[in-house]
Amino acid sequence: MPEPLTSAGAPPAIPAGPPAQPLTRGAGPRRRRSEIWALLFAALVLLIGAAFGAGGYLVEQATSNWRPRIVPTQTGWRITEVRQLGFSGLALCDERIAWQDGPSILLLDLRSGRAKLLGPGEKARATWQPAVSERYVVWFEAARAGASNADAWTYDVATRRRRQIATLDDVLSFPSVSGTRTVWCTARAGESCIVGVDLTNNESFDVASEYGQPVIDGALVAWARSTGGRVSAFVLADVTQGRSWTIIPSGLGGAGDLTGFDLSGRTLVWGQHDAQSSSGRIVAQNVDTGAASVVAEGARAATAPSIDGATVVWAEQMAVGGAYRVMGRRLGGGPSFQIARVNGKVVTALVSGGAAAWLVDNGDRSPTWIEIAELPR
Amino acid sequence: MTAWKTRRSPRMGPFGGRILFWLLVGLWVLNVADLLLTRYSLWLGFATESNGVMSYFFHSGEVPAGIFKVGIVTVGVLLLWRLRRYRTALFGAALLAGVFAAVVAYQALWVLSL
Repeated sequence: MPEPLTSAGAPPAIPAGPPAQPLTRGAGPRRRRSEIWALLFAALVLLIGAAFGAGGYLVEQATSNWRPRIVPTQTGWRITEVRQLGFSGLALCDERIAWQDGPSILLLDLRSGRAKLLGPGEKARATWQPAVSERYVVWFEAARAGASNADAWTYDVATRRRRQIATLDDVLSFPSVSGTRTVWCTARAGESCIVGVDLTNNESFDVASEYGQPVIDGALVAWARSTGGRVSAFVLADVTQGRSWTIIPSGLGGAGDLTGFDLSGRTLVWGQHDAQSSSGRIVAQNVDTGAASVVAEGARAATAPSIDGATVVWAEQMAVGGAYRVMGRRLGGGPSFQIARVNGKVVTALVSGGAAAWLVDNGDRSPTWIEIAELPR
Repeated sequence: MTAWKTRRSPRMGPFGGRILFWLLVGLWVLNVADLLLTRYSLWLGFATESNGVMSYFFHSGEVPAGIFKVGIVTVGVLLLWRLRRYRTALFGAALLAGVFAAVVAYQALWVLSL
């Protein structure tokens, strides 16, 4: 009888050895720690590099000289030039103001007080007066000062993008922008024409085949038509309906020159200045009916008027002391009111929303500056 | 002869290899960030590409520019990883990653300021 290979009883006792050790015990955490240290070391190298980059950026910003001095005032802002190149070409719309500082185009957000340098680009040396709407800033740039041809550029506040929108053979006017449309006067084949660009799709459109310094508000473009060196009519063109008509400026005549005009809704406001008497007046006129009302009479050395909604703003020299005052009047009724007294020569006064802005230029005697103030309620 | 070789190109331990690995990962990611920031800056219209080679590729199109930039850095990263036994590879990777970090930090702040 063969013996079973295995006994049915208890297996033979195996001598107990040392407990089994996991193969990775101790090595895992050590390797993980080593990995973390390696990662931290690499991150430190990147951080040192990033610190150098950030430092370089800060040094560059600190040494750049394009920033004007921007100081908050009780009612707004005061911007003073620091480069002694002279401010000019002021434009205001809602919460933004754009202007020229020498050849630079600057934009200031009135809520934050942050200024941006928009132009000129790397290859440009000259610019023209900018225009600003709720979303866009439009200006011209040229390769050299004194050039008659230029490129039209726009800055989109929403996308923060700057792009070229057109090339002009001849710059015959400053740009004007409202909403998403911009217009200007240029020459094509030797003939003056007023053209525009839709900034949403870059498509150009024709407004008129004549010379004029156009101003646009909504779909309405206005410009002054001259006959024999004198303004004889204002031309209105609706770019959506493709129709145009003229209105005769009420009471414009004599020795007075047109100081400028502005358009808001269906109201055109214009200023007249008599060089001999240094006296001027400001008139508001309905573009449909031609009905006119005098906004200001006897305004001494008045600037071109500006209108937004029912508020007209201009600056005039005070009778005593030679100082200027910025004035406003609401077309709905009520007398004119003083917005500010300015110890300097105001060359431009603008209104938009609830704010007025003016540019002061005393010639070579002092730096130019811009002030922005809320309108009195 | 061996001592001379060792002086010329010191060998690197496993810890150095791990640092090199993370530096190369950072370098590759920063290169892509540099490409995206450059492309965005050019689109914003405030910047011009100062690197002549990249300017050529950007003028050719965004896809060629992307392929060239990512491709050349990927080749460089793989080459450095291939040489991971040598400490010089670690120094080179650290220098390149640091420079890329500086460029990307500068660009990011510049774009934010617009």
